[in-house]
Amino acid sequence: MLPIEYFEVECEEATGGELYQKIAGVVLLDHDLIRVIAKLHIFIDPTVPLFVAVGITKRLPGPVQVRDVGDVNAQEGRITISIAHETHLAPLLTLLWDKFGKERVDQPDRFTIILHGVDLDAGSLMELPVIDPSEALYKDLIYALQVIQPEGFKVRRQFYGDGKFWFVASENTICEDIMPLIREKFARMGETL
Amino acid sequence: MILVPVTYKGGVYRHDEVVDLIEDLGGSIIQKHVIAQEVVLQALVPREDLELLAQVARPLMGEVTPSPLVGTEIAVVSMSLEIHHLPHPSCDIAEYIRRNGAKSNVIGLARGFGKRIAQLNDEERDVINEHDLAIYLFGNFAHCIEKKMPVLRRGITVPIVVCGGPDTATLREIIDPPVEGYYGGIGRFMHRTKESEELATLEGVVAEVTRVLDRRRVEIGKDPLSVSPARLMEVVRDQIPAINEVLSPTPITVQVAGLRVKLPYDTFAGQLKACEIEEGVRVSDVAEVLPSRMRDYILIRVKPFSETSLMV
Repeated sequence: MLPIEYFEVECEEATGGELYQKIAGVVLLDHDLIRVIAKLHIFIDPTVPLFVAVGITKRLPGPVQVRDVGDVNAQEGRITISIAHETHLAPLLTLLWDKFGKERVDQPDRFTIILHGVDLDAGSLMELPVIDPSEALYKDLIYALQVIQPEGFKVRRQFYGDGKFWFVASENTICEDIMPLIREKFARMGETL
Repeated sequence: MILVPVTYKGGVYRHDEVVDLIEDLGGSIIQKHVIAQEVVLQALVPREDLELLAQVARPLMGEVTPSPLVGTEIAVVSMSLEIHHLPHPSCDIAEYIRRNGAKSNVIGLARGFGKRIAQLNDEERDVINEHDLAIYLFGNFAHCIEKKMPVLRRGITVPIVVCGGPDTATLREIIDPPVEGYYGGIGRFMHRTKESEELATLEGVVAEVTRVLDRRRVEIGKDPLSVSPARLMEVVRDQIPAINEVLSPTPITVQVAGLRVKLPYDTFAGQLKACEIEEGVRVSDVAEVLPSRMRDYILIRVKPFSETSLMV
């Protein structure tokens, strides 16, 4: 059982719907998106053909700050960052290079970064945002929905914002007034767009 | 003499005795794989000598198992080569029928996806027609299968086995005119088949393919081939030394009524046609030597007895 609060696949063809429910579950697990989706409703109409996915994301963790990546220690005109979580090292280095210039950023070993002549106190440095996970999440989510949808649905419209997302795909032109259908699918989950 | 397709699995040690025995009995080795210390032989063996082969294999710790698909080349037609259809189920089915002795080729259509936009081009059609049988792997919606099937079967002359998400009865109902075989419950899925239920489904696909091919063999039996493809393979192997330089796992692929020889057509077609099977009987007398649409290979189609009045 997936740890999603609401997860339904609506389809006139019962067998097809059940099989797509399995496909969606496997794809979301593979892409590690189960932990971020709270509700998901998929509607497939093979006669049009049309694929609609609407959903709500869980509260996402805020931006990763320098304090989350390592310890900051300021002494005698230089600041030393001891890396604790290497995962975000690359974006941290990019951030520091962009902000202070490469000549002021040294990395004597894999887990140490030293900043020279930087006009910033340790407290402010610790609060600098390194990455925002929600940006990557949006791309991952849309990619996962593209994998779930039946192949050949090349015409797509999508939206993500305020913890809600929708995705519509078809092999034909999508009609302009698709929004009522999307609102209806949100209503089925007990949500409003 | 009725030849039965079998697989022999055993050690490298003294496996040449098994090879000699099969050849002495009048059988043929279709394919031989040496993997580290293990040997896998796919062979056609006279039915009455199966027990003898098993007796010889026993002290060598060898195992003889029936493989109904040995000596066949099967096209596994996937609607595309995108993540939606690969690696599952296309590769799972291709691998499973390979384990049962068939030479399987996955053919990913350029535009096989979609309900309205699905199409089959001439190259795909010709490549599929070079096989003994085509397994069409459809998706999960009966409505889509019904709409796209007429387009994707246009010009296909080999037997088709349709696989799809809906059950077999539904597939049988929606496909008109009927095809030779159906197997439902195996459409689009995104995970590896490893549960016992899923393996049973793959067994079902193999059984359906075997049934269709057996029917084809019976039809061929009514007007027998002028020469057995397995025998023709040995002739080519003996008389065209260049085939031993080919690095492909199966330099010569045996089909139900022909061979695929993996040598360039322009260079070797003449030599192939001139190969002598028996005194006075050349390959060109009993078979058509044609250029394949798969790379620049050669396709040999053995003519039936009714066309040649020859049986070698």
